[in-house]
Amino acid sequence: MRDLSERALDAASAAGASYADCRVINSTVQRLTVKNGVVASVELFEDEGIGIRVIADGSWGFAGADDLGPASIEETARHAVTIAKASSRVNRTPVRMAPAPALVGEYRTLVVRDPFAVSLDDKVDLLMRTDEAMSHLAQIRVRECSLEFVREIRHFASSEGARLDQTIIESGGGMDATATSDDEVQTRSFPNSFGRHQVCAGWEAIEAFDLPGNAGRIAEEAVALLTAAQCPAGTMTVILDATQAALQVHESCGHPTELDRVLGHEAAYAGTSFLTPDLLGTFRYGSEQVTITADSTSAPGLGTFGWDDEGVAAQRSVLVDRGLFTGYLSSRETAAAIGQVSNGCMRADGWSRLPIIRMTNINLEPGTSSLEEMIATTEHGVYLETNRSWSIDDRRLNFQFGTQNGWEIVDGKRVRLVRNPIYSGQTPEFWGSCDAVAAPAEWQMFGVVNCGKGQPSQLMHVGHGAAPCRFQNVRVEPAR
Amino acid sequence: MRGGDDLLAMGDGALASLARGEAEVVISDTRSELTRFAGNEIHQSVAERFRHVRVRLIDGGRTGVGEVRGHDGRAIERAFAAAEDSRRVTTESAVSPLPAPSPGESDEPVAFAEATAATMPQGRAELVAIITDAAGAHGINAYGALSTSTTTTAIVTSAGLRRSATSTQASLVSVARGDDGGGYASRHSPDIDALDVPGLAAEVVDTCERNQGATAIGPGDYEVILSPYAVTDMLEHLAWGGFSALAVQEHRSFMRIGEKLMSDRITIRDDARTHEIFAFPFDDEGVSTRPVTLIDRGVCSAVVYDTPTALHDGVTSTGHSLPQPNTWGPLPRHVAMDAGSTPWQEMVGSVSRGLYITRFWYVRDVHPLRTVITGMTREGTFLIENGSITRPVRDLRFTQSIVEALANVIQVSRERRLELGEGESGVLSPWLHIGRFSFTS
Repeated sequence: MRDLSERALDAASAAGASYADCRVINSTVQRLTVKNGVVASVELFEDEGIGIRVIADGSWGFAGADDLGPASIEETARHAVTIAKASSRVNRTPVRMAPAPALVGEYRTLVVRDPFAVSLDDKVDLLMRTDEAMSHLAQIRVRECSLEFVREIRHFASSEGARLDQTIIESGGGMDATATSDDEVQTRSFPNSFGRHQVCAGWEAIEAFDLPGNAGRIAEEAVALLTAAQCPAGTMTVILDATQAALQVHESCGHPTELDRVLGHEAAYAGTSFLTPDLLGTFRYGSEQVTITADSTSAPGLGTFGWDDEGVAAQRSVLVDRGLFTGYLSSRETAAAIGQVSNGCMRADGWSRLPIIRMTNINLEPGTSSLEEMIATTEHGVYLETNRSWSIDDRRLNFQFGTQNGWEIVDGKRVRLVRNPIYSGQTPEFWGSCDAVAAPAEWQMFGVVNCGKGQPSQLMHVGHGAAPCRFQNVRVEPAR
Repeated sequence: MRGGDDLLAMGDGALASLARGEAEVVISDTRSELTRFAGNEIHQSVAERFRHVRVRLIDGGRTGVGEVRGHDGRAIERAFAAAEDSRRVTTESAVSPLPAPSPGESDEPVAFAEATAATMPQGRAELVAIITDAAGAHGINAYGALSTSTTTTAIVTSAGLRRSATSTQASLVSVARGDDGGGYASRHSPDIDALDVPGLAAEVVDTCERNQGATAIGPGDYEVILSPYAVTDMLEHLAWGGFSALAVQEHRSFMRIGEKLMSDRITIRDDARTHEIFAFPFDDEGVSTRPVTLIDRGVCSAVVYDTPTALHDGVTSTGHSLPQPNTWGPLPRHVAMDAGSTPWQEMVGSVSRGLYITRFWYVRDVHPLRTVITGMTREGTFLIENGSITRPVRDLRFTQSIVEALANVIQVSRERRLELGEGESGVLSPWLHIGRFSFTS
């Protein structure tokens, strides 16, 4: 990989680049799915290529190719420079990057058992046992469970002298049980919805999920939802389980703190942000209970690495400190625009995509309460589990979420299961109403594997540590 | 990148060494480039080229899949090896057979334009400058992306199927932002020379300038005029969740064949032969994509099939397969709603009090069986009073059943626009005048 990157940097420089970096990436993905008792697919995917980013005549250019022959690499580097020079004819403002040390090093995800050393037969066996455990209820019409494993070997080199090698390993898995009746469809998922829960770890993470051990319960819960009462409507107390809290953090804190959104770089697609620079350090984002960090060192989150995709070291920074808005997710270019240095959030979806600002592990720091205590001290409200739908406006203020499961709480007790719950609100008011976050014993790291952003579209794997948390005076209703 | 005949020859060569069982080899070469602009400057401009090889092996009642993205000479060999590893561990089951070739079928029509395939970075920058210059002249900022792509796809199977096609796509999307509001416009075509860039620039600047200083309006049910950008989101959600035979077979779809669920003004089709919706002759199994009338004057008419769902129902595939095997089912990717007879401005003129919606944003399913979706309006929500658009209003959240909305359609416009949905499929949509649409916050 080093030979390839040196050739790319030399070619870019010769073509007129004032700065260049490149990433050579080799990735392997295993994806196994069992559906209704049949191995629906075992997909084995390999990918290799190089992405070259340059500054020439004051503008950015990027080109990627999967042909790693010498001529192709040189052509790709020259094309990146051609692109940059074409852009410079429109641009008035030359690119300026905040300084960053040129680092050299190696990083590897800590795994107990390499998931690629576990046989495909053992993986299929686990899924078949999970499927079988979901199969005992007639109302379950669709059973689906899956595993995914990713190994990405990355080499980064820059014209400033950085030389970085990383091997990132991810393991994920999950299940969905869908029950149907004449007029209703209900799905329950475990450990998380939308396919799976994923972390930067080895096979030990899959064993810890205990998919077969939870499959029967998930199927029973899906069937129970078919005849559960509709969620009550009104303004009430809402307690989120840790998975839904994680997605709430993702949508209403992670995205609006992306500095490229703030500066308008995503205005035509993902949107902008209500957290403008004039609010930094003064705006009350949430209550005293709310501290949110960006921490690319907090294994096993999916945003855990040694260096980001422009060579900045992994680090922890505070985005919201006891309710006060204190920081952004940044890159070298965007940090320079507000007089800061990068906190290492540039990530790319493979070799063929330009790095852009992405979440790392955006964590709601644990509090001192517990789920049991939150329920016991709630007069009337709902406890909501596992995301079903999510939507938020382009400035990340007006949100509406739905969950798979709801429990109505009356006088400190769960009194009944309710279906089709949705809740909605405005981001600062919502986080401002947070009066409890559970303690570290109930804090877990979750993964989001479908975070979309950028043009062309990039899907990123990001992490969120979260715990059950409680909010007051929230609008709740059933999806009708 | 190689042409279709070269990729077919590579597939033939790979199949020649197949010792047993059946195989499908799909090889595609892609070159795509995109120029992105923000604040009237180009801030990101990128290019990528790659080869994707996908091998499906079927033997002994087991199916395996291997995929490689890479250009080295061993990519096909590695994909075969991965497919065999995959096949070995799958369970014996009712294997979906490889489709038989249909003699005489043409690999036409396909949406291809040489101008798109030949576009260079400088040419894209010049087109972008038409928009940024127009925005700058009005003292506002333009944002957006201009993309071009060329893909050659070849499918070869041991059942004798051999198909290939080369297609192009050009897409231009722009948002303009002033001090207190924005506008949106887009244009898409197989042919970059057919993109009306000055028209887009004028539209996005005009919408932005009219959408300054929006004031709040309360939630509730409103009569609405939805622009094609918004209608596209609704059609795309119906396509994902409702128009698939698998969704019907799994009792997840709203479709009840033969029942009238929508206004008789509504007819929705899928027709992959339509040039402007990125015509493409076959699906991911190599089966010719047939036109299907999904909703016929409000009546649920038909759903789309791939080979597995067709076998289940004892019919033939309509040619709407995604790569097999999969758990998602078939998907219509060339959806169009039939045009009506009223110019869209006249539709606005018939509304005494209502809302004009330029586009939706972040639309997600709330209850798929009932086609309930939620999302926000964005970049151009206007109050209509006494037949005229009078002032901009702040964006609203809607939570609404699509089927119920389409049951309440009063008028369908004569004009239609092509838009790309979130899934990048082309959708040809008219303006719709809907009697009642529910805004929740």
